[in-house]
Amino acid sequence: MTRPTTTGSPAAAAQAGSRGYRIGVDIGGTFTDLTLADEHGVVAIGKVLTTPDEPARAIGEVIGEVLARTSVPAADVEGVVHGTTLVTNAIIERKGAVTALLTTAGFRDVVEMGTERRYELYDLMIELPKPLVPRHLRLEVRERMLADGTVERALDEDEVAAIARELEARGVEALGIAFLHSYANPQHERAAAAVVAQAAPKLRVGLSSDVAPEIREYERASTTLANVYVQDRVARYLSDLEERIDGLGVTGSLFVMLSNGGIATVETAKRRPIGLLESGPAAGALAAAAIGGDQGHADLLSFDMGGTTAKLCMIEDGRPLISTGFEVDRVYRLKAGSGLPIKTPVVDMIEIGVGGGSIARIDALGLLKVGPDSAGSQPGPVCYGQGGVEPTVTDADLVLGYLNPGYFLGGAMMLDVEAAREAIRERIAEPLGVSVEQAAWGIHRAVNEDMANAARVHAVERGREPSLLPLYAFGGAGPVHAAGVARAADVRHVVAPTGAGVLSSAGFLTAPLTFDFVRSHAAKVADLDRATVDGIFAELEARGGELLVGSGVAPEDVVHERSAEMRYLGQGFEIRVPVPDADDDWPSSLLRAFEDAYLRLYGRQGPPVPVEVLNWRLVSSGPRPGLSLRLKPDAGVADRGAKGERPAYFGEWVDTPVYARYGLRPGDTAEGPAIVEERESTLIVPPDAAFTVADNLSLVVDLKPSLA
Amino acid sequence: MTAVRSQLDPFLVGAVAKRLVSTLNEQQATLVNTAFSTIVRESLDLACGVFDTRGEMVAQSASGTPGHINAMATGVHHFLARFPAEQLAPGDVLITNDPWMTTGQLHDITIATPVFRAERLVALFASTCHAADIGGRGLSGEAREVYEEGLLIPPMKLVRAGAVNEDLVELIRGNVRTPDETIGDVYAQAAANATGARSLLSLLDELHLDGIDEIGAEIIDRSERAMREAIAALPDGVHTAEVSNDGFDEPVTLRVTITIDGDDVRLDFDGSSGQSQFGINNVLNYTRAYASFALKAAVAPDVPHNAGSFRPVEIVAPEGSILNCRPPAAVASRHLIGHMLPSLVFAALAPVLPERLLAGSADSLWATLWRGVDAGGDSFAQTLFHAGGVGARAMKDGLSTVGFPTGVGAVATEVVEALTPLLNRSRTLRTDSAGPGWWRGGLGQVVEMECRGQRSWNLSALVDRTRFPAQGAAGGLLGAPGELTLDGDWLPTKRLVALDRHACVTVRTPGGGGWGDPLLRDPARVLADVVDGYVSLLQARKVYGVAIDYVGAADARVRLPQDYVVDQAETARLRGDEGSLG
Repeated sequence: MTRPTTTGSPAAAAQAGSRGYRIGVDIGGTFTDLTLADEHGVVAIGKVLTTPDEPARAIGEVIGEVLARTSVPAADVEGVVHGTTLVTNAIIERKGAVTALLTTAGFRDVVEMGTERRYELYDLMIELPKPLVPRHLRLEVRERMLADGTVERALDEDEVAAIARELEARGVEALGIAFLHSYANPQHERAAAAVVAQAAPKLRVGLSSDVAPEIREYERASTTLANVYVQDRVARYLSDLEERIDGLGVTGSLFVMLSNGGIATVETAKRRPIGLLESGPAAGALAAAAIGGDQGHADLLSFDMGGTTAKLCMIEDGRPLISTGFEVDRVYRLKAGSGLPIKTPVVDMIEIGVGGGSIARIDALGLLKVGPDSAGSQPGPVCYGQGGVEPTVTDADLVLGYLNPGYFLGGAMMLDVEAAREAIRERIAEPLGVSVEQAAWGIHRAVNEDMANAARVHAVERGREPSLLPLYAFGGAGPVHAAGVARAADVRHVVAPTGAGVLSSAGFLTAPLTFDFVRSHAAKVADLDRATVDGIFAELEARGGELLVGSGVAPEDVVHERSAEMRYLGQGFEIRVPVPDADDDWPSSLLRAFEDAYLRLYGRQGPPVPVEVLNWRLVSSGPRPGLSLRLKPDAGVADRGAKGERPAYFGEWVDTPVYARYGLRPGDTAEGPAIVEERESTLIVPPDAAFTVADNLSLVVDLKPSLA
Repeated sequence: MTAVRSQLDPFLVGAVAKRLVSTLNEQQATLVNTAFSTIVRESLDLACGVFDTRGEMVAQSASGTPGHINAMATGVHHFLARFPAEQLAPGDVLITNDPWMTTGQLHDITIATPVFRAERLVALFASTCHAADIGGRGLSGEAREVYEEGLLIPPMKLVRAGAVNEDLVELIRGNVRTPDETIGDVYAQAAANATGARSLLSLLDELHLDGIDEIGAEIIDRSERAMREAIAALPDGVHTAEVSNDGFDEPVTLRVTITIDGDDVRLDFDGSSGQSQFGINNVLNYTRAYASFALKAAVAPDVPHNAGSFRPVEIVAPEGSILNCRPPAAVASRHLIGHMLPSLVFAALAPVLPERLLAGSADSLWATLWRGVDAGGDSFAQTLFHAGGVGARAMKDGLSTVGFPTGVGAVATEVVEALTPLLNRSRTLRTDSAGPGWWRGGLGQVVEMECRGQRSWNLSALVDRTRFPAQGAAGGLLGAPGELTLDGDWLPTKRLVALDRHACVTVRTPGGGGWGDPLLRDPARVLADVVDGYVSLLQARKVYGVAIDYVGAADARVRLPQDYVVDQAETARLRGDEGSLG
């Protein structure tokens, strides 16, 4: 270990009397995490056990605790940003409202028939996602809109009224309305909503033309149902939370984290709760982006590995990539295609079914296979001593000397190395005819290869090159595997930020207030009517601006980003293209923007075929908080002192120095191999690498080029 | 098998095996993203594979369609026979669509790209895709010879050492209705192969390997061993099954004899009908693809697809039969017969693997081709797929409206209507179409189609099981047969039908077969099916022996579960177990 003579300047000194505090609070499965920040950076973090029976209670507790500890007056908190898994859980556990669906006559089964595709060819036992509304609550009404938005058959309003009255009388609480081609003309859906409001005022109504006004009836209806299904629950929860926060004397506004990387007011969240899905991982990606920016990396790959899964996300120009939808509640082995499709802008993330608890087995070919089966937290890995018998990734990492059996979760749990060795010997090493160390090393590397392969495919799908990006490691198992993943993916730099344990809650504080809009208006670029497009964007921008200003954003801070989903005529997948400002050259400039994006994605131009636009999108946002996620020295957990060394296996046993993370200072540097321990995780620095402590206390690992 | 245990590091073999699959996923992602025909992109009618220098398939992409399995692999052997390694150069790209060498249909174009490292051939990447058009009659069953079905491209070099064979490209363009799409897809395949090749080369660099032949052979051998173990676990024996289907002009019989002998299995289709005068014939390659798909799904779904997993499986069919047709037989609609094979193989294996198989399914993918002229005078052509029901399982109901054995999916109504003047009047589950059983089959669907054009339009419906419904298993009953009607009258199938401009065509796809005796189905499940309208009150009573009364308001639109009650006494009487009431 070398240490510079001058220590790096500490992060911004505490600003006495500064106001403008903000709080980010994230409810996770086990812990509810909090980050308190002022305009300079993170002031304090907090952690309490989640209270599943009444999630808002833990939030109240942790806010109260941290404010008391830091003596920050509640009145100085300008805003609280919150993320919740409530929506996901309500859908998975089917704990939403009693919901019905009203469709165009002849189409009530669209939500059950889906894509008609078998998502797994060889498995004869697969199951299909179950729609949120059973068939007996899916009703039809005579009406028909055509693809161009003209009315083919008028809406039978009497029938709508009769159905609505019956539904209300029979105890139905919510109604999704999804008519064909309503993205092109919402008139019938709106008329139906008006009739329902009159005939059955207690029914909560959701329109597909509001929730997901995009072409493709299955995905639009599925999203509409999910939204109205959870709406009441979310509204009650957010109202309750607002009251609790008011009760603590916090007068600042409550905001909610969205899946698209923005935040919304409570009012917006209540109107479109489906936008809250997956907001925790989105915040994690935002935090990675913010820390990367601080480190001088605008482009990076964030890698978050926990107990059962790992998540990878590409950050570009300081922002995570966004995709237009995903699946919730996958019912069969987490397979793509077995979930309900949700069309809402979401941080583009891949989830890999391998984490610390993943089980290692010998497969049909006599080769090692890790995951997707997981020992979970019960019984957990063999080394937990809670009855697990199948060796897991954590067991392998322990046998390799990477984890400290006496300092797991800061010493809260003792790990049984011998039991882990025995399980690996019996189930992996002996069948393969290798030593226990070699077997454990094989498990560790197999996981790294799986991650690298997934990252590579993910990048290719998006026309990116992963090997140039630094890897930012989070989660309990992320820093243990990051260097190995980097090696397998041909990546040169790994960054392990500090404070990773409360990452999501910190990420909330870097998100801008955001509103997303989409309009379907399909046309060939050559046939585009400039006035129509200008009209669409003018209307959307007016709405976006109004909503932002209404939420307290200064008009001059409002930013609109226009994009279009375009494709070569007849192609099945659209790509998102930034829409250039209208100039004289338009729409040629739009065409060029498409060609640039296509070239970038696929490395070549398509054939000479007309280009068409399907959807027009607008993202209106307020200012992006320029928050630094540097943890102030006093914000971390005190845990000082070097820890000596222990043997660790990197193809052979090597005596490896062990450092306590919170004892390290900016500028500290050491050659690998090295182990850096903190409460929530352990960073492994292999022999062919070195690490440095950055000014913001991130650990930066540089891997030497392998000797090819 | 007497293979010596390999000296190769098992972790290295595992790492390469996984990385090759990942390489194929990169190849497939590029292909799906850049292909033009809807069939490739939305329906994933494609396959990608990587081959060693002998042309042995080491791995195949995870999704894709069973019809291309090892049919593409045979194609690569044909490429290497025509162009041995010494005649291949870096920058070459090979092409063919010869039905007998590849997947049995001119529409499927196979593109192979040899990969070189330091001037030495190290591997080939190949992909097969369904072209938007290949000339001739288009997708139809009506041709008498393959010559009528479009352009046949023998194994040729599409690109020679980096220079595109422009003459060939012009020839293809001049012979197809959709030159941009057909050639666009060919280029997409070449680009996808190149993506795979790049990824393979960096794999070799990173792992310090000279090639994939040695490790590929190990993966293939291990797969063969795993397949043999799975076969050896089955009792030796001979099993036969037979199914019939509509055929083109006369019913077709398919027959299989499966012989399990130690760790080998032989599927012999002797006894099947002779080759047809029309375009529903299968080349042996295609027969092998669907037969081996079924066998693997039944016996060893976890064993990867490669040259090894097929070695223990022998598949034969008499030459000149509908499952091994001779050139120049017409083959364009071969899927109508080939898709029947998995249910046939399952029926034969049912005594051996009763818990792991499906009852009979709708099987043949229902494809309808609609053509006409829109109001603006532009012509349109749209192919739609409508899935029927899948057979019931030993512990689960069958899946409704899902393709089987195909992996092809449907196109959204809104997309169809945005692209064509077609007007889809309904698309709903078909009540009582599921084959009854302890577990019932999956439901088919009802689709009503009109056209908003000003002139006549036409339909070619490539469909089957209108006369021979899906079989039940273990005492389960038949699924409902499919129907294609116009105002209640049957329309001819597998040929072009002109339609009046006011016509409304109704497509009813077949249901899947049931599993086990319907009288043993839990009355609560029958009740739930009645509440949701999957099963009618009448069928519940007559077939399931469950008497259910609707007790809600007669004019109610909303009918909840509590509006229906099971008449226990009547049910016991219907099911013949009054005695149990004491």
